Amino acid sequence: MTLAIIFVVFAVLALVLILRVTVSRALQVSSRDNVTPGIEPLDVEAFRNLVDASENAYLHRRLPAPEFRRVQRERLRAAAAYIRVSGRNAAILVTISQAALTSSDSQTVEAARQLIDSALLLRRNAAFALLRIYVGLAWPTIGLSAAPVLLGYERLNGCAMLLGRLQNPTVPVRISVRS
Amino acid sequence: MLQAHSILWHYLWVAPDLLFMLLGFFLWRRGMGRIFPAFVAFAILSSVGDLAAYLADITPSVSPANFWRVFWAGLVVESLLKFLVIGEVFSQVFAPYASIARLGKKLVSGCGTLLVLLAAVMAAFSRGDSKFGVVSGAHLLEQTVFIIELGLIVFLFLFAAYFHLSWDRLSFGIMIGLGVSACEHLAVWAIIANASPSEHVRTLFSFLGMATYHLCVFIWFYYLLVPGKATVKPKISLPENNLAVWNRELERLLQQ
Repeated sequence: MTLAIIFVVFAVLALVLILRVTVSRALQVSSRDNVTPGIEPLDVEAFRNLVDASENAYLHRRLPAPEFRRVQRERLRAAAAYIRVSGRNAAILVTISQAALTSSDSQTVEAARQLIDSALLLRRNAAFALLRIYVGLAWPTIGLSAAPVLLGYERLNGCAMLLGRLQNPTVPVRISVRS
Repeated sequence: MLQAHSILWHYLWVAPDLLFMLLGFFLWRRGMGRIFPAFVAFAILSSVGDLAAYLADITPSVSPANFWRVFWAGLVVESLLKFLVIGEVFSQVFAPYASIARLGKKLVSGCGTLLVLLAAVMAAFSRGDSKFGVVSGAHLLEQTVFIIELGLIVFLFLFAAYFHLSWDRLSFGIMIGLGVSACEHLAVWAIIANASPSEHVRTLFSFLGMATYHLCVFIWFYYLLVPGKATVKPKISLPENNLAVWNRELERLLQQ
C-alpha cells in the first residue's frame, strides 16, 4: 500500500508539472509581444576579484585559519550571488536569441545561434560552479573555481553585443557594469 | 453504464485506437515519418496491438491464456516504441544545441539507468495482485514501464525548463500526451499492483485509463494536426546602455 501511495504522489506531482509547463507555454505564446528582458548588469571586476586565486592565496597567508574560513564563506556566498545573476542573465539571453533565430538576416541568425550556445554553456557551468560553492561552504579551504563562469560571461557579453548591434545598430548593449 | 462490455466500454477501447491509427497513417502520408518515425510507428503499431487485445477479449473462442499472450506481446512492443519516441523527442529538442547536447545525453542515460534500477526494486517489493503469474506479471511490467517513462518525461521537461529552451509544437504535443497518459496509468497500475482493489474499483480504473488515453489521442490530434498560432515573433531588443562603456567593453574583448 505504501508503494502505491508513493507512486500516486509521484504521478500527481508529475501531472502538476506537465500542466504547469503547458499553461506557461500557452501564456508565453499569447503574451510574446510584452517580453521585456530583465537583464541585471553584473559587476565583472568585482566578480573577477572574488574568484581570483591569488587573492584567495593572499587571504589564506595573511589571516588566521578561523578568520580565513569566515571570510572565505562570505566570499563564497557573494560569488554564489554573482553566479546566480549570471545564470539568470544567460537564461534571458537564451529566450531573446531564440526569438532572433526567426530573423530574415543570416548574420543575425548566426549571431543568435552563437549567443544561444554561449548562454547554454554558461548556464551549465553556473550550475556546476554553484554545486562547488555549496560544497565549499562546508569546506572553505578547498578554494573557489568559478573561472569558467567568468570567462563564459565575458564571451556571452561579446555575443550579446554583436546580436544587439545587428538587431539595432543605433543602440549599444552590455550586460556587465564595467570591466 | 460503467460496467465491462457496456457500450461506453466498447467505445472507449476501440475509438481511441482507431483514431490514433488514423492519425499515424495521416502523419505517414504527410511525410512526418521522416521527422518522427518512432511516433508514427507507435501510433500505428500500438493501436494494432490494442485492437488485437480487444478482439481477443470479445471473441469467445479465445482462451484467457491466449488473451494474456496477446496482451503481453502488445505491451512489450508498445513499451519499446514509447522509449524510442522519448529518445526521438529528446534528439529533436536538444540536438541543435551542441553545448548541452552531450551533457543531456549523459544525464538522460544516467537518469534512465537509475529509473530502471528503481523500477526493478519497486517491482521486487510489489506483492502482485493475482494468483496467475501472467496477470500480475503484466501489471508489474506496466508499473515498471510507466515509472521509467514518466521519470524520463519529467527529466526532459525539467532539463528544458532549466535551460529556458523552447519546444517545437510537435515535440511538445507528443510529450504532453505521453506525460498525461503515463501519470494516470502509473497511479492506476501502482494501485492495482500493490493495493488489491475490488473488482468494481478495477472496472472504474479501466474506464479512467481508457478515457485518459482517449484524451491523449485528442491532445496528439490537436498538436500534430492543428497548426499553431501564426505569431510573428517580435524583435526582442537587448537593453540599452551607455555607448562609452559598451565601446570600452568591446575594446577589451578585442584586445584579449
